[in-house]
Amino acid sequence: MDQDIIKDLEEEIELEPEQELEKPTTYVFSWLFRNSKFLAIPGLRDENLTLREIEYEKQRSKRKFIRRFKSVLTIIGIVIIFLVITLVVFPDWIAPFTFNEANAIWAGAWDPPSAENPLGQTEFGRDVLSRCIYGARSSLTIALPAITFSVIFGVIIGVIAAYYGGWVDSVIMRIMDIFLAFPGLILAMVFIAIWGQRIEYIMLAWGILGIPFYSRLIRGNVLQARELPYVEAAKVAGAGNWRIMFRHILPNCIQPVIISFTFEIGGIILSLAGLAFLGYSDPMMIEWGRDVDIGRHHLYDAPWASLWPGLMILVTVLGFMLMGDGLRDALDPRLKNL
Amino acid sequence: MSMIKYIIRRLIAMIPVIFGVLTLTFILSRLMPGDPVLASLLARGINHPNQEHYEAMLVELGLDQPLIIQYFRYLAELFTGNWGISVSIKAGEPVWDLVWERLPRTVDIAIFSILIAAIIGVRAGVISAKHRNKSRDTIVRGLALVGVSIPVFFFGMLLQYFIAYRLSEVLGFRTFPAIGYKSMEYPDPPFVTGFRIWDSLFSGQIYLITDYLWHLILPVFCLSFISIAGITRQSRSSMLEVLEQDYVRTARAKGCKEKDVINTHALKNSLIPTVTVIGLSFAGLLSGAVLTETTFELNGVGDLLIASITGLDYWVLSAIVFVITIMFVVLNLITDVIYAILDPRIVY
Repeated sequence: MDQDIIKDLEEEIELEPEQELEKPTTYVFSWLFRNSKFLAIPGLRDENLTLREIEYEKQRSKRKFIRRFKSVLTIIGIVIIFLVITLVVFPDWIAPFTFNEANAIWAGAWDPPSAENPLGQTEFGRDVLSRCIYGARSSLTIALPAITFSVIFGVIIGVIAAYYGGWVDSVIMRIMDIFLAFPGLILAMVFIAIWGQRIEYIMLAWGILGIPFYSRLIRGNVLQARELPYVEAAKVAGAGNWRIMFRHILPNCIQPVIISFTFEIGGIILSLAGLAFLGYSDPMMIEWGRDVDIGRHHLYDAPWASLWPGLMILVTVLGFMLMGDGLRDALDPRLKNL
Repeated sequence: MSMIKYIIRRLIAMIPVIFGVLTLTFILSRLMPGDPVLASLLARGINHPNQEHYEAMLVELGLDQPLIIQYFRYLAELFTGNWGISVSIKAGEPVWDLVWERLPRTVDIAIFSILIAAIIGVRAGVISAKHRNKSRDTIVRGLALVGVSIPVFFFGMLLQYFIAYRLSEVLGFRTFPAIGYKSMEYPDPPFVTGFRIWDSLFSGQIYLITDYLWHLILPVFCLSFISIAGITRQSRSSMLEVLEQDYVRTARAKGCKEKDVINTHALKNSLIPTVTVIGLSFAGLLSGAVLTETTFELNGVGDLLIASITGLDYWVLSAIVFVITIMFVVLNLITDVIYAILDPRIVY
């Protein structure tokens, strides 16, 4: 009986055959991708459980996960995210005007909502509805690469700092402290002023600014995990530092990062809008934050020009926050990681 | 006594961070594209500068020196309070005056906001935890979620449009001012500290204080709403944790009123993680203050910062970053001290 379970577990956990030629970073992320479903099971890696209990816990927590995840608010969040992604992928089919028409200079300006412009016009007679739809694309195209960049580098730096400890840890963490002591918006403004207002530089600026947060997040967990017996066992078995760090410790500590990932997408869209509001955005793109800034000067005679893009930001961010909330409740029932 | 020792130790530990921030600012400001010499020449009205003008200005700004000397001079000037002369924003005016003219308003709205956010946020979190999964809890959590998600400038504009403009129209009188920090016809009080409330108090013009506070209501409400959300969430979850502890059950079992159980037994313990969140939210609050100032046209330090980045005014930029960093570091220290007072188990 127990033998069968062991065999099953081995098959499930060690899905990947040993491939020594792969680079450590590559196999970490392929491993994470394939085994991410196991990371959602709270009891799986608790060393105090017997195999039978692990098997039991796995079934139970899968059901629990789905039950917890099925709250009304989470579903609203998922629906919002789904709608926003639809806007990102198919704006040309949904928007009444094309990208160039929404960015062109027309005869009228600041006209109220009409049959042609359902949400009214902004400056140069541009259609507010089309600009709201095209804005989704630029928000997500900047937010997702930026956050992926900061997760990858933040996690690697955090794990290295916590695993080696000593002077490596203190040097890296002092540098992170310096970045955290700045208000992020101001630093992003300076970065973009230096590099120029191009979309790739805006991504890079937010990517760099997100690194300290993730490395701090993972560092605390790695510091605890480093002392656990399985690390020692791996060392005795002759595993190298990289292997221990990224195949043994990292999968056990990645959960808070997964939870905060969804929250941070919302947060970064918000900061991005703030930056665009202050005038630091790519002038070639349609961005909600900049539309709000443009419409701000006509707030009393043309409120639609600024309130609709602002509402779009609010709804999008709310979708990610609701989803993150649901994910956290489902994955982290004791609310350890707020 | 140990507390004083602890504060001193923390202050010493902060020195590397402050130096790091200043070094980073120096490097970043020197990396900025554009020529500050030309910018300052243009700002002084020399539209067609020749070589002599250029070199004279180069020497005047100290940019002819090697970078390492510039760096040490910059550090020395920051710490001695001689923050240099503004080159392009208001050419010729000392940076110290420029910053101190605007900083008090930012500090005012930041402090008012964080105080209000702390009081309301903790209270809302307690209410939410007390009525867990009831309608009140749902309302508080929903509002907190909206507060986390709403862009601060958009919320400010909603307030301006619906409260300052629409509500005034409906009611027939002016409710709250939408922009600015004082009424047009009111004068500035004589300069003593730079903080408008104290200056008005010293010169005995009480009506200036009420006018100022009246103008600050919408910005402070706007800014605190954003921070309330995070504090409420933290306060709720830590309160829920505390309410499951044994001593809370003991207190209930021996017949304490529910109010006393919450306010005397549970609240203090639940505050410990909340204080950390309040301290950490200050950096976000400063970012929010920049946006709020722009929205409400408060003419604070945020506008100055944006102007210094666009106008290549290194000296103003580094002075503002210096002040913000010092504020942030001091606030972190205060957080830690409050932490120690709340939790006597922590021994230093």
